[in-house]
Amino acid sequence: MDKKPSHARTVIAYIVLIILTFLCLFFFYILIVNATRSHPQIQKGFSFIPGHSFMKNLRSVLNDANIPVISGIKNSLIVSSLSAILATYFSALTAYGLYAYDFKLKKPAFVFIMLILVMPTQVSAMGFINLITKMGMLNTLYPLFLPSIAAPAVFYFMYSYMQSSLPLELVEAARIDGSSEFHTFNRVVIPIMKPALAVQAIFAFVSSWNNYFIPALVISDNSKKTLPILIAALRSADFLKFDMGKVYMLITIAIVPIIIVYIALSKYIVAGVALGGVKE
Amino acid sequence: MAGITFKNVVKTYDNGVTVVPDLNLEIKDKEFVVLVGPSGCGKSTTLRMIAGLESITDGELYIGDKLMNAVAPKNRNIAMVFQNYALYPHLSVYKNMTFALELAKVPKNEMKKKVQWAAEILGLEPYLDRKPKALSGGQRQRVALGRAMVRDPEVFLLDEPLSNLDAKLRTEMRSQISKLHKRLGTTFVYVTHDQTEAMTMGDRICVMKDGIVQQFDTPQNLYDHPCNIFVAGFIGSPQMNFIDAQVKKADGGYALCFGDTKVISDRSELAAYEGKTVVLGIRPEDLHAEQSFFKEGNSIKAYIDLDEMMGSESYLYLEYAGQKMIARVPARYAKRAEENIELAIDVEKIHLFDKETEKAI
Ligand SMILES: Nc1ncnc2c1ncn2[C@@H]1O[C@H](COP(=O)(O)OP(=O)(O)OP(=O)(O)O)[C@@H](O)[C@H]1O
Ligand SMILES: [Mg+2]
Repeated sequence: MDKKPSHARTVIAYIVLIILTFLCLFFFYILIVNATRSHPQIQKGFSFIPGHSFMKNLRSVLNDANIPVISGIKNSLIVSSLSAILATYFSALTAYGLYAYDFKLKKPAFVFIMLILVMPTQVSAMGFINLITKMGMLNTLYPLFLPSIAAPAVFYFMYSYMQSSLPLELVEAARIDGSSEFHTFNRVVIPIMKPALAVQAIFAFVSSWNNYFIPALVISDNSKKTLPILIAALRSADFLKFDMGKVYMLITIAIVPIIIVYIALSKYIVAGVALGGVKE
Repeated sequence: MAGITFKNVVKTYDNGVTVVPDLNLEIKDKEFVVLVGPSGCGKSTTLRMIAGLESITDGELYIGDKLMNAVAPKNRNIAMVFQNYALYPHLSVYKNMTFALELAKVPKNEMKKKVQWAAEILGLEPYLDRKPKALSGGQRQRVALGRAMVRDPEVFLLDEPLSNLDAKLRTEMRSQISKLHKRLGTTFVYVTHDQTEAMTMGDRICVMKDGIVQQFDTPQNLYDHPCNIFVAGFIGSPQMNFIDAQVKKADGGYALCFGDTKVISDRSELAAYEGKTVVLGIRPEDLHAEQSFFKEGNSIKAYIDLDEMMGSESYLYLEYAGQKMIARVPARYAKRAEENIELAIDVEKIHLFDKETEKAI
C-alpha cells in the first residue's frame, strides 16, 4: 500500500468533516451563547463569548405566567413520544400485514396507502378539525398523536425494510415452532425491525415535536399548548416585553429533548441488528 | 410419532400453475423418506404442504390418522429445518433452540436439559451464547437441526439441509442426521436433489418429476429395478447408459442388436417387441474389462473419448456405434483416452425399457 496518497486523503477527509461539523454546530453554538446573553447584548450583535444572563433568562422563561413552559415540555413530550410509538408500531404492523400475508385486496390496499402518502396535511385539515370537533376531541391532546397510527410514509419505509431484511422463512419457522401470528410479530419481526423502528421513531418524534400547524388549530387552552406554540407566542409578544434572550432560552430548552432522543436511539441505528439468521 | 398419508392431493398456486397434480403417498411411522427429483419438480411444495405452510388445493393429508388440511402449522407438532436455516437473528443459539419450548411452556430446567442434550450431540456447546451471525455455515446448520431436535416432534421435515455445506461437512452431517433418526425414532421426510444423500439416508426414496411420483421404493430396489427411464437415469452416478437396440429372434431367446453387438436375453416379454427398437440400459459398472465376462457377442469395442481417473477406478467416456456411453472399470484394466478398449456387457444386469412409454419391460 502506498502511504502518501492515503495520508493526503485522510487530511482532506478531516478538513471536509471539520467544515461540515462546524456548519452543523455553529448555529447551535450561537443559539446557546445567545441564551446566556441579555436582550440589549443580543441586539448589539454577534458574539462568540457567552454572557452572564443564563439564570436570568431561564428564570424569566420559567416564571412567565403566559408561557407555561413546564407544561409545554410535558405536553410536547407526551405527544411526541406517543406519536413516535404509535407511528412506528402500527406502521410496522400494517407493513407486515401486507408483506407476509396473501389476500385478495392486497394490491388495492397498498395503492390506497400510497395515495394517502401524496396528500398534504393542509388539504385535509378542515375535515380533520370538523371530525375531531364532532368526536369531542377539540382542545385535547388526542388529535395530536392518535393520527400517527396511520403514517403512510413510515409504512412505506417499514415495507421496504422488510423486503430487504425480513425473510419469510423466519416467519414460517416461528409458525412451525408454535408461535401465534401476533406473538411472531412482537417477538420475531419487531426485534429484527429495530434499526428501522429507531430511525422512524426519531423522525416521528422530531416532526411531532416541531409540529406547529395542527396544534395551533386544535389547542386553545394555555395548559395544553405544546412548545412550538409557546415559542410562537413568545416571539409575537408585544414590543415592550419582547426579550430576545428569553426567546433563545426557550428555543434552547426546546431542542434539548430532541438531542437526548437522538443520542439515545442513534446507538441502535449505527449498531444495527445482527442479521445472520439467513445465509446471505 | 405418526405416519403421513397423501390422498389425491392437488396443489395449484395462485398464479394458476398446478405443481402437484395428484399425489398419493403413504409414509410409514418412524420411516426415513427422501424426496428426490430435479429442480422445480415440487419437492419443497410437497414438504411445505406437510408443514402446513402451503395450502392444499384438493385432496386429503393425514398425519397419523388426523386430517390435517385445515390445521395451522403451529398445531401440527412438526419440526422443520429450512434450506437457508431461518435462525432468529436477534436471539442467541440457546434462545433459538428454546423458542418453541418456551411457547410450549416447558419448565426451565427441562428446557436446559434438552438444549444441553442437543448441543452435546451436535457439538454446539461452545456456541450457545452466540448470535447466529457469529457462526459458520455448518454451525448454523447444526443450530437449525438442534432447534428441531429439542422439540420431540411427530414429524421431522428437512428441506435440502446440507446444500450449503462443503463436501466434507456434508458427509459428516449426513451420518449425523442418520444417527439422529435412529436415536429419535421419529418420521423423517428429507428433501434433496443429491442422490448420494438419498441413497445413503433413506429407508425409502420417492422419486418425483413434474409433481408426479415416479417410483417409491427402497434404495436397493430403485437401483436394481428402476420402473422407467427417468428413474434409471436419475439414480446412480455416473448415469446409466441408454442404447437403442433392435430386437431379433435368436437361439435361446432374443438378441438385442446394436453396432456389432448382439446381447442375448431370455426375457419372454421381448416377444411383443420382435423387430422393434427398445432401450437397453446398462450401468457403467456393468461394463467389464475382465476376460471372464466375455461371451459370444456381448462385447463392445469402443473408442475412448475421455478418461477420468478416480484412483481405484476410472470412468471411461466411450463412443460406440454412434452412441455415447460411460464405463466404470477398475483402474488396472483401464486404458487412456484416444485408445480403443474392448468391454463385455454383463447380460444379467441389463435393463430394458419401452422406447415409447419409457417404462421398464
Ligand atoms: N409461491 C409460488 N407461486 C407460484 N409458483 C410457485 C410458487 N412456489 C413454487 N412455485 C413453482 O412450483 C414448482 C415447484 O417448486 P418447488 O419449490 O416445490 O420445487 P423443488 O422441487 O423444491 O425445486 P428445488 O430443487 O429447486 O428446490 C416450480 O416450478 C416453482 O416455480
Ligand atoms: Mg426446493
